[in-house]
This record gives sequence, C-alpha cells and structure tokens, in this order.
Amino acid sequence: MALGPFTKQDHVEITTLGMEFAVSEILCAGAGYWLDSHWGTAPWCLVAGAAAGFGLGLYQIIRAAGKMARKDQNLKKAEQKDGCR
Amino acid sequence: MDVAEIISHHILDHDWGVTLSGFRIPVTTHTVTLLIVSLVLLLGLHWISLGRQSRAGRLLTTLMEEYVSFIRDGIVLPNMGKEGKSFLPYFCTLFLFVLCSALAGLIPNMKTATANISVTAGLALCSGGLILYCGLKFHGILGFLKGFIPSGTPGWLVPLIFPLEVVSMIIKVCVLAIRLFANMLSGHMVLICLLLIIFVVGQMHIAAGAGALVPAMGLELFMTCLELLVAFLQAYVFTLLTSIFAGSVIHTH
Repeated sequence: MALGPFTKQDHVEITTLGMEFAVSEILCAGAGYWLDSHWGTAPWCLVAGAAAGFGLGLYQIIRAAGKMARKDQNLKKAEQKDGCR
Repeated sequence: MDVAEIISHHILDHDWGVTLSGFRIPVTTHTVTLLIVSLVLLLGLHWISLGRQSRAGRLLTTLMEEYVSFIRDGIVLPNMGKEGKSFLPYFCTLFLFVLCSALAGLIPNMKTATANISVTAGLALCSGGLILYCGLKFHGILGFLKGFIPSGTPGWLVPLIFPLEVVSMIIKVCVLAIRLFANMLSGHMVLICLLLIIFVVGQMHIAAGAGALVPAMGLELFMTCLELLVAFLQAYVFTLLTSIFAGSVIHTH
C-alpha cells in the first residue's frame, strides 16, 4: 500500500529508523560480547545478541511502517467523512 | 606531520583540571564551553526579560516571542497536544542550549561541547526523564506500562512484545544522543581535514600546497556555512524528536 503524504514528523521519524536499527544491533551485539567475555561462551552470546538486535531493528521498522499506514488510513477516513457531510 | 594527532587534538576534549586535597576538579574544554554557553544564555535571556525600551531590547524581545511561538506552535502543540504546554519551558531551553553549544564550536578557541558523547548522553537522559515523567503523570504507573503494549496484541504475545517495546524506547533515547554527537563530530572532522589538505599537499611540494589553498579554503567556507545549517537543524531535530516521543507516551494508541 502506498504511504503518504508524509508530515514533517514522519520525515524525522523515518530518518531515525536507520540509526535505530544500527543502535539496536550494536547494543545487543555488545551485550552478547560482554556476556561472552564473562561466561567464556564465545562466540554464542555474541551471535545470539546480533540476531536479537537484527530482530529488534526489524520490529521497529515494521512497527513504524504500520503506524504510518494507520495514520494514512485514519486521514483518508476523516476525509471521506468530511466529503459525506 | 602526524595528521591523526592533529585531528584528535582538534576534536577531543582536553583536561586541565586540578586536584585539591585529593579531590579532582575536572576542568575540560567542553565543560568550560558549556559553562560559558550557560552563562551567556542565562545573562542574555535575563537581560531580554527585563524588557528594556531601547531599540535592541525591543528587537530581542520580539525575536524571543517569535522563538517561543515557533517552539509552541511548530513543535510542542502538534506533537504533544495541549498537555505539552506545561513542558514548553523545557523545549525552549533545550533548543537554545543545543543550538548555542553547536554554534560555540564555530568560534575560534572554543569547542563544540555537543561533539562529546557524554554531553549528548546527558541531554538525552534529560529528555528520557521527561518522557518517563509524561507517561507517569498522565497515565500512572500501570497505565504507562500498559501503553507499551500496542492495542489488539494477543495475550500470548504480550510477554514478547512488552520487553521489545521497552527496549525500543530506550534505544530511541540512545539514538537521540548518538545522532547529535555523530553529526557534530563529523562536521568538525571534515572542517579540520579540509584545512589539513593544504599542509599535506604542501609537504609534497610547496607550489602544490599553494595551489590547494584556494579550493581547500573554498570548501572550508562552504562546510562552515553547512555547519551553521547543521547546528540549527540538529537543535530542531533533537527538540522535535523529544516532543514526538513524549507525545507518543501521552497519546498512546
């Protein structure tokens, strides 16, 4: 489904998504690396952390897209209501 | 010439703190810059608030009124609604502080304090605290926690979704800090690298260095103008994102 038109807020949120993905990946992989160094389980916690970070980043992107789609649908519904009146 | 050393000297913080009877007083270039920016803002804004009848006083008062209107109508009200009005002073302070800290770096002998991750982390923590406070104030502890679960989530998915949402919010606050830090740091690295082109090329041959002078200085001028734009843009983005996140906590679903 096509999204848009985007508001100023949407643009700022979209530009944040890439960095959110990177930060979640780095944080989770970093946590995994730290656990590996404490428990001596290298490289399993790092791998699990990286996978979890990837999943979290993906979840954030999907959720943001869903939120924008809902906003778009609500806008169209409101416009249709206004047209009926 | 050690290029890496020159770049790190230009970018990194320098500590000339003193130790008094075993107690270390940290005085660094960034803390001094922050103090100067805070003092200038405090004294300047206090002077404007006195409402002097001079031409400059009237002009600055009008400018500040426009600024507060811009923050209220352009950032706070669209994202947080009327509930955000009580937080307007925080957003006005945040925008001015981030902007002036970034602009201070363009003054010779001063440093960009926001090119230090500790400073941006402190600012992001303040914003995180505001987001938390908004959630607790408008929904209470249980309502705030419920807000992390999107509407229509099946019950069996809640244990998975809830931690994901909490971590997402923490990451959003981390991103606030990293975005500002990275933008400020990279801008200043580009500025010093462009200047170093002259000296690096000049070491190969003096005539080549003289030839590199004009294009390097042209690029330097362009990047300085871009840094001015980035200072305004980053202050705006930091304030806007804080209000968006706080608004998403106030108006859940």
